Amino acid sequence: MTTLTTGESVTGRAVGLPTTARPALRGRNHSGRRFRSGLTPYLFLAPGVILFAVMIIYPMVQAVQMSFFDWKIVGSATSQFLGLDNYIRAFNDPHFWLSLTNSGIYMLFTVPPQIILGLMVALLLKKKSPTQPFFRVLFYLPVVTSWVVVSLLFKYLFADSGLINFTLGDFLHLTNGDTSWLAERWTALVAICALGVWKGIGWSMMIFLAGLQSVPQELEEAATVDGANRWQRFKAVTLPAIWPAMLFVVVMLVIGGFNVFTSVLLMTGGGPGGQTDVVLTYMYQQAFSFLDFGYGSALAVILTLIVFVITVIQLRLFRDRSGESLA
Amino acid sequence: MKRSSKFGSAVAIAAALAVVATGCSATSSGGQGKPDSPVTITFWGSYGNGGNSTQQDALNKTLIPAFEKANPNITVKYVDIPYDDMLKKLTTSAAGDELPDLVRADLGWVPQFADLGVLVPLSDAMSDFKKLADATYPGSLSTNLYKGKYYGLPLDTNTRVLITDQKALDAAGMTAPPATFDDLKAMAAKLKGTGMSVFADSGLGAWNISPWIWSGGGAITNDKLTKSTGYLDSDKSVAAVQMLVDFYKEGLIPNLIIGNQGATGTSDGLPGGKYATILDGPWMQGIWSGQYPDFKPIYAPMPAGPGGSISVVGGEDIVMTASSKHQDAAMKFIRFTQTEQFQIEMVKTGQMTIIPAFADREAGIAAYYSTFATQLKSAKARLAIPQASKVDTILSTELTPAFKGEISVKDALSKAAAQIDQLLAGN
Repeated sequence: MTTLTTGESVTGRAVGLPTTARPALRGRNHSGRRFRSGLTPYLFLAPGVILFAVMIIYPMVQAVQMSFFDWKIVGSATSQFLGLDNYIRAFNDPHFWLSLTNSGIYMLFTVPPQIILGLMVALLLKKKSPTQPFFRVLFYLPVVTSWVVVSLLFKYLFADSGLINFTLGDFLHLTNGDTSWLAERWTALVAICALGVWKGIGWSMMIFLAGLQSVPQELEEAATVDGANRWQRFKAVTLPAIWPAMLFVVVMLVIGGFNVFTSVLLMTGGGPGGQTDVVLTYMYQQAFSFLDFGYGSALAVILTLIVFVITVIQLRLFRDRSGESLA
Repeated sequence: MKRSSKFGSAVAIAAALAVVATGCSATSSGGQGKPDSPVTITFWGSYGNGGNSTQQDALNKTLIPAFEKANPNITVKYVDIPYDDMLKKLTTSAAGDELPDLVRADLGWVPQFADLGVLVPLSDAMSDFKKLADATYPGSLSTNLYKGKYYGLPLDTNTRVLITDQKALDAAGMTAPPATFDDLKAMAAKLKGTGMSVFADSGLGAWNISPWIWSGGGAITNDKLTKSTGYLDSDKSVAAVQMLVDFYKEGLIPNLIIGNQGATGTSDGLPGGKYATILDGPWMQGIWSGQYPDFKPIYAPMPAGPGGSISVVGGEDIVMTASSKHQDAAMKFIRFTQTEQFQIEMVKTGQMTIIPAFADREAGIAAYYSTFATQLKSAKARLAIPQASKVDTILSTELTPAFKGEISVKDALSKAAAQIDQLLAGN
């Protein structure tokens, strides 16, 4: 693959859109117009960049600053500088470790199913058939549905007298039908993870479907002629072709996994006794219930650093791997 | 960098406030308008919560017009804010110096906002404060006290009483609701094996657990709010909680109490015959009359233990902000909220009066109010400290394992007391 041209975004490449599909927008060297046409793209970018700077960058920098203070929200009050105290406090706070573990468990148990099931669905829906658009919409619907709506829906499904207990107990006779899913840490995490997987499959399916468009048909056919079976064709032809899409999906899902918040807040509220808190619900509680914005910000910064490091590691691993398979 | 935007969303929640915090640094002025120039005061509240328009209507169509007629120079603008958004809205507005003149604040928030320095101590600002304060229930009034000053006046009140129904009493073979802890234990023994829980509640915070501890003769802290160890884990406190834990272990209290969000709620479980008794407030009448028109709740005092029958005070206070530019007008409205006209009009919509002298008129409007009014005479307020919500978290976090049988009640309460000691030491 060639190096990125200026018009290409990282994501555009990652989803596997063919690089040749992009026309070269390079008619800018007409004499006399260099300056004006050189400025145009920046003017177009400006609103987005300004919005990004004000709404994302500025609060981020502020949060980092707040994390070093016992931050008082009222302008007239003086915030006391604490240095690294908030970070040391987090390090010694068993509940922070519990919430981080829960976030990690959520990530570990939602990312692989979303990738595997998403890819399987994408492979099934790649073939043209009359029902294919219908199923694509069906699988994508949960993605566009509000987190609040589906969280409440799953809360009712996993309620003591909900559909899950009815199915397991009265219908399949696997349990007594009296499991209190949301009353124990592990069963509640099962319910929360189930929601995450169900809601996320459609998204990874869509990215993989886009990636599958770039699988060279000739190679598939050549492999078939050479006697490769389905699995061999998938491993040797399809997978390398969709590797950039895979990178994108893995990185985004891992970040999304650590950022789980709405579903936990609405399904268990972090309960019982804080046992299902994830980092963001714990952070939210510190900041908005206890008005401890300094500590809340420190938790946010720590999570950001963890996710950043994991992302860098993933990008490195994938770069090595993709160099191998595409060589 | 696509991922930066994702990182941003991770921290944005915590950080969004910072924009407001530093973006606006307007100085607050305590100046007051000239006596005769027309002023507009803004009043925030959550009267319309749950889609209930009767309370807002009473305020907007009857009470505010009456006040404005008596005070032609003052216009009152009431802004309704959903209860769930109120604390966040107040916090961000305090940060941005955008608070209204008056707020109908949940009584747990008063010390929190007094601590931030955004409220005016009414006991200093109002010359007639003592007269107004003396007329109210002491439990309600005490929720306004922070560091020796009163930052608000009670606006409406409620408390929790025992609610049961005939079906539950029949199931337990009782002729009257359990009046004492022993009655409740006898009721539990009768209900064992029937599938009906003797009691249900939806949490283990101070609102839930205090009535049992107080009625059991225990306490959360000492009276000076300086120490919890020795009070929260005293023998009497432990015994009261132990009674509930024993019920729980026998399956006579549902795991709703440890925060199972999937369990049947108390408002459905009592009419549905799953729960024999609950502790709840006067608002339940309205909820049941809509959802369970045939259900006839029986209201009774909190069962008495060694410490008597003591419940917990709920309700709202009215507070004035330090940034209000029309404090004289705002205080006039505060005085108006303490009048018989205002109080009784709100009683008609389901808000209990904070003035015991109006209790008879209140009971005339709806008979079930009288149980609550009697209970209020001895009801106590939760800890009036800025970290009250932390106390709730501590109690439910430490007590949950005790209910699950993982640690003893004594150990759980000792652990909670040690953490509350730390909070109290910081004040």
